[in-house]
Order: sequence, then structure tokens, then C-alpha cells
Amino acid sequence: MLALLFILFAGMAIGCALGVVAQRNPLYSAISLIGVFVSLACLYVMLAAPFIAAVQVIVYAGAIMVLVVFVIMLLNVEEEEHRRTRLKFLLPVAIGLSAIFIAEVAFILMTVAPTRVTPATAGTSVGVTHSIGSQLFTQYLLPFEITSILILMAIVGAMTLARRGGLLSSAARVVPGAAQLPLSLVDPAVGHEDTRAITAESTAEAAHLLGVDQPSKRD
Amino acid sequence: MEPQLSWYLALSAVLFTIGVTGVIIKRNIIAMFMCIELMLNAVNLTFVAFSSFFQDVTGQLFVFIVMTVAAAEAAVGLGIIISIFRNRETLDVDEASILKL
Repeated sequence: MLALLFILFAGMAIGCALGVVAQRNPLYSAISLIGVFVSLACLYVMLAAPFIAAVQVIVYAGAIMVLVVFVIMLLNVEEEEHRRTRLKFLLPVAIGLSAIFIAEVAFILMTVAPTRVTPATAGTSVGVTHSIGSQLFTQYLLPFEITSILILMAIVGAMTLARRGGLLSSAARVVPGAAQLPLSLVDPAVGHEDTRAITAESTAEAAHLLGVDQPSKRD
Repeated sequence: MEPQLSWYLALSAVLFTIGVTGVIIKRNIIAMFMCIELMLNAVNLTFVAFSSFFQDVTGQLFVFIVMTVAAAEAAVGLGIIISIFRNRETLDVDEASILKL
């Protein structure tokens, strides 16, 4: 019975994983990847790890994949077009190497005796939230804290990478008069080769052009 | 018949290999990113299988930390992808061969 369930979920996982690689549209790849995550969560339940299964569905299939799908929609990704394959002479080499690899794996599976260990059953306390929490906050507290620092760095990094413009601080003041500024100051998407400039007659106008508009006290 | 430890390890190896293949053959940067997530999940399956068969909770703690690292990676990676797309108008990795935004 359990073996049948394993074959069902493993087949689902492998099929969806092949779908991730085979699909040309990234959105279909993302949906296949959600299938992989859900079938892996089912396998975690079979391995008596209900907490990890729940986190898998919530964090992976929920949060991370929503982010990925959001980016796919935001960027309006087109399908990959077919291209001619380069380096065709490497194809027989690849087939030969993968045959050797499969032969090695088969050899190991044949010769090495399988270990006789019994899996945790549903009644065990290994995978429940209580045991994970008590270990995480006592013995493994340092990795936990380091992970929180990592997430803080990731937040700052993502904000720095994804923000648009805003390179000029609001404290900057343009000298009144016909100030000439390169356009790349306003719009970083414009390269430095672009020699067009913006012209402002006053600080307020320059601030408006630079997008750092705010009610100014002097001027 | 009960599923053996080696079954889970074999499944994990297959998933990891599919992920590696995807990273190599895909050209779309988002698809490559998803294949990396697939490889992370294959490793997570190994951790949970060992944790369950040896009755030790440490493996599941590792999975927990791997998941948070994957979430951080998703945030930064998608930020980089958006930044590349804004500058180059494409998601093709062959077009982004210069180490400069």
C-alpha cells in the first residue's frame, strides 16, 4: 500500500519535473514546478514529517512560486524560440558520458547491500512541530540567528537591486541658473554615452525634473 | 512492501539530475532559476528521508534552513532578473554575458 503511494507520488514528481524542463513557456514551467512541490510534500507526509510538509506547501508552493509567477507576469516573458544547436560534435560525447554514468549507478545499486533501517512511523515524535521547535531554539540557535541576518541582507539587496532611479539624494541642491545636467542622472536606464542634458532654471524646477520633488523651505 | 531508504535516494537523484539538465539546456533565466529550485528540493528530500529513517530531527532542521535560504535567494535572484530585464529588454542568458548591468 505504502509502496503504491510512493510510486504514485514519485511518478508525479518526476513527470512534473520533466515538464519544468520540457515546457517552452515559463508560466507552464512554474505550474509544473508547483506540482513537484506538492508531490514532494505528500512524500514528506509519508516520511512522518508533517511540519516540513506544511512548510513546503506554504513557503515553496505558496510564497516563492507566487513571487516567480508575479515576475513572469510582470516581465511578460515570451516563449523560447527554437534555435539551431551549436557544438553538434559534442552530442556523441554527451551520450557516451551519460551511458557511463548510468552504468556506474547501476553497478552501485547492484553491488552495495541495502541497509535495513525502518522508517519513522506516524506515532513517532521526530517530525512534529514540538521536537523541531525545541531543537531549533536550543541546540541550533546560532544557525537560526545567522539565517535571520541572511534574510535581512536579502531584503536590503532586493530593494537596492529593484528600485528605479532615486540616485540623487533629496539633500542635493542645484545652483540657480541654467544648470546643465546629464540625462543619465534622472533616468539610469539611459546609458552614459547618451549626451543629452536637462536644463533647469531654478532649484525647484531641477528637483521636479529629477523626481525629488518636495515642498521646499527656501527658494 | 514498505518503501526503502534507497527508493527515496534514487528519486532524489533523478530529480536533481533533471534540475541540472534544465540549468544546462535552458536559456531563459527564469526557467534556469526554477530548475535551481528543483535541485534544492531534491536535496531536501534526501535530508527528510535520512532524518526519518534514522529517527533524528537534525535533517528536518537543515531542510528548514535550506527553505529560508531558498526564499532569500528567490528575492535577490528575481531582483537581479528584473534589473537585467530593465537594462537589456531580454531574459536570454546568452545576451547577458557581460558581468555588468
